[in-house]
Amino acid sequence: MGKIWPRRIRRRQALGALVASAALVLAGCGAGGRPAEGTSGGSGGGTTTGLTADTVKVGAHFPLTGVAAPGYSEIPTGTKAYFDWVNAKGGVNGRKIEYVVRDDAYNPTQTSQVVNQLVLQDQVFAVMGGLGTPTHSAVLDFLNGEGVPDLLVSSGSRLWDQPEKYPQTFGFQPDYEIEAKILAQYVAQNFPQAKVGLFLQGDDVGVDAEAGARRYLEKQIVAVQRYTPGNTDIAPQVSALQAAGADLVIGFNVPSYTALSQLQGLRLNYKPQWVYSNIGSDASLVGSLLARFSQGSVTDAGLLDGAITDSYFATVDMPDDPWTKQFDAIWKANGIGGELTNYRIFGMTQAYTFVQALQAAGPNPTREGLVAAVEKTGTSLQGPWAAPYRFSADRHAGLSGVRVTKIVGTGQQPLTGVMVTDNGDVPVTPYTAPEAIPPADGIPQQPAAG
Amino acid sequence: MQQFVNTTLTGIGQGAIYAAFALALVLIWRSTRVVNFAQGAMAMFTTYLALAVIERGAPYWVALLVALAGGLVLGAGVERLVVRRVAGNEMAAVIVTLGLFVAFQAVASILFGATFKSFPAPVGLQGFTIGSTTVAFTPFTVFILVSVGVVLAGLVALFRFTNVGLRMRATAFSPEVSRLLGVPVGRMLTLGWALAALVGSLAGLLIAGGSLVYPAYMDTVIVYGFVAAVLGGLDSPGGAVVGGLAIGLGLSYVTGYLGSELVPLAALAALVAVLLVRPQGLFARAAARRV
Repeated sequence: MGKIWPRRIRRRQALGALVASAALVLAGCGAGGRPAEGTSGGSGGGTTTGLTADTVKVGAHFPLTGVAAPGYSEIPTGTKAYFDWVNAKGGVNGRKIEYVVRDDAYNPTQTSQVVNQLVLQDQVFAVMGGLGTPTHSAVLDFLNGEGVPDLLVSSGSRLWDQPEKYPQTFGFQPDYEIEAKILAQYVAQNFPQAKVGLFLQGDDVGVDAEAGARRYLEKQIVAVQRYTPGNTDIAPQVSALQAAGADLVIGFNVPSYTALSQLQGLRLNYKPQWVYSNIGSDASLVGSLLARFSQGSVTDAGLLDGAITDSYFATVDMPDDPWTKQFDAIWKANGIGGELTNYRIFGMTQAYTFVQALQAAGPNPTREGLVAAVEKTGTSLQGPWAAPYRFSADRHAGLSGVRVTKIVGTGQQPLTGVMVTDNGDVPVTPYTAPEAIPPADGIPQQPAAG
Repeated sequence: MQQFVNTTLTGIGQGAIYAAFALALVLIWRSTRVVNFAQGAMAMFTTYLALAVIERGAPYWVALLVALAGGLVLGAGVERLVVRRVAGNEMAAVIVTLGLFVAFQAVASILFGATFKSFPAPVGLQGFTIGSTTVAFTPFTVFILVSVGVVLAGLVALFRFTNVGLRMRATAFSPEVSRLLGVPVGRMLTLGWALAALVGSLAGLLIAGGSLVYPAYMDTVIVYGFVAAVLGGLDSPGGAVVGGLAIGLGLSYVTGYLGSELVPLAALAALVAVLLVRPQGLFARAAARRV
């Protein structure tokens, strides 16, 4: 008896392994077979995985759960609403856009896993809007190795702008360096006497932002403090800023740390002029975090009132903006209910750009054609954004500028026109081209890039 | 000077919280000889209970009572329903608490959401003003220090002067002999868990007050609280408090003068140093029981 059991188990294991490997082989055939079908219908040579005569499949990874989910999880709902709007009007060149979102919980290990699924199992044509620097860094090599177009990464890191190393990857928002440059130039011009403190997230965000800020504020900076995401005790950092006599603090941090820095300032009766990066300044989100303190000790609910920040496309607090109106109509028609938010506009703006890129890739797009079209049309694309993209054959950087604004209540008031710049020592200059107006049905008409 | 004062004061406030948490660890160690890694997650859970009560419009003090009562019930429940099943195997019990840690966090995310939420404080959050400068010492810091002092005094009194405390220590030291001597061992273990969870809940509320909570907000406190407990010797309530304050101050100086990225490293260095030089902790009176 004692001898029979192990043998039987071994036999069972062998059988299991055989079945598993057979399944793998079959799956491999299936995966290899589909693109071939597509290719036969497409224009010669290019890869058309994820594309059929009447559909195109687009994938994305977002934190739908976890600490990064508040706010950010709304982005794909906006994207989806916009794609549905386009699909209802016939799609792009007769193809309906199928949008597949997978949850990575802002955990790079999970990002690798879900992007693997998107590419190998869902067989997406392109990945668009993948969110987060640590998360998306984990899949850069994989996506570029597989030749999957990786458009409009939702992060201001400069990692996405490396066309030689990562030819498939393109950024989206203004990177933290140019954002800091524009904010710093505004501070240098309007607060020339200020002693400036920097409050930075202790990763790439802070490194890039500091480089940008030092271009204009080298002589004014009196203290630089960093925080580690996850550690909510930032009292020592704020004390240090106060002790250094900083009367203007520029923060490149996420929204929860905007709330924490405000609370800590209150604790120490420290009231510098606050300047927050766009990523940390969503007034309604920060306000909701601080709201509970307003009942007791925090007497002023509008703690963020008067803080300086920046914006780079239409926002919900500008209800008369034609783009906001357009997006509101789209959200009412195709949204999942609830209010239109800035995060949803962010998603729709990405979707709008993607539709333009797909149109530019022509009636028979390939993965290679899509990337080429983005490089060719990149700087000329017109849309809800304030300043143009910097896409070309040798640049894959996102938007080139922002408008400096002041927070009033939960809205913003412009302090400057749109300012544009680039990385390095490129000067900050006003952007003078007229604002784009939305097309009649909210769908771009981008001609195919020859 | 101003920065030094403020860094010191925030260090004391933070240290008091680590001390409260370390006290909970000491309590459970003294009464059951298990290190409860789920302590932080349980405290997080009761803090969310308190938040739910506050969101329904109840005053802070009612929420505090609900959380503390919730802690008692949760601690007793965990001991009766889960830990008792692996009784007699200390390693298994520790692994079970790790599992509970993950489970509590997941359940809290499902029930209360994984987003950041603000948690109110019962007293003012604005620092006291001395002369013309505001120092980082708030009425809430006073509240924290008083709470930790009360818990410390209570624990010392319990273990040193009461019969129940003696029975709890006896139970932890030698369950078989205690049972022969008529000590209700099972009930003592449950009581130990319940009291430890109660103290943990208090630590959870203290760290949440006037700040933001999310399901993982206790994670750093667990680590630093554990370091504090080891620093003071897992057996000694007074040591836990001194250890907590030392860790709080030390980490505050590291953040303020060296950089916040070095904080976990500094805590780890302190832990390794203590374990190498004086493994029984700075305040343990005699060598702990050897196995």
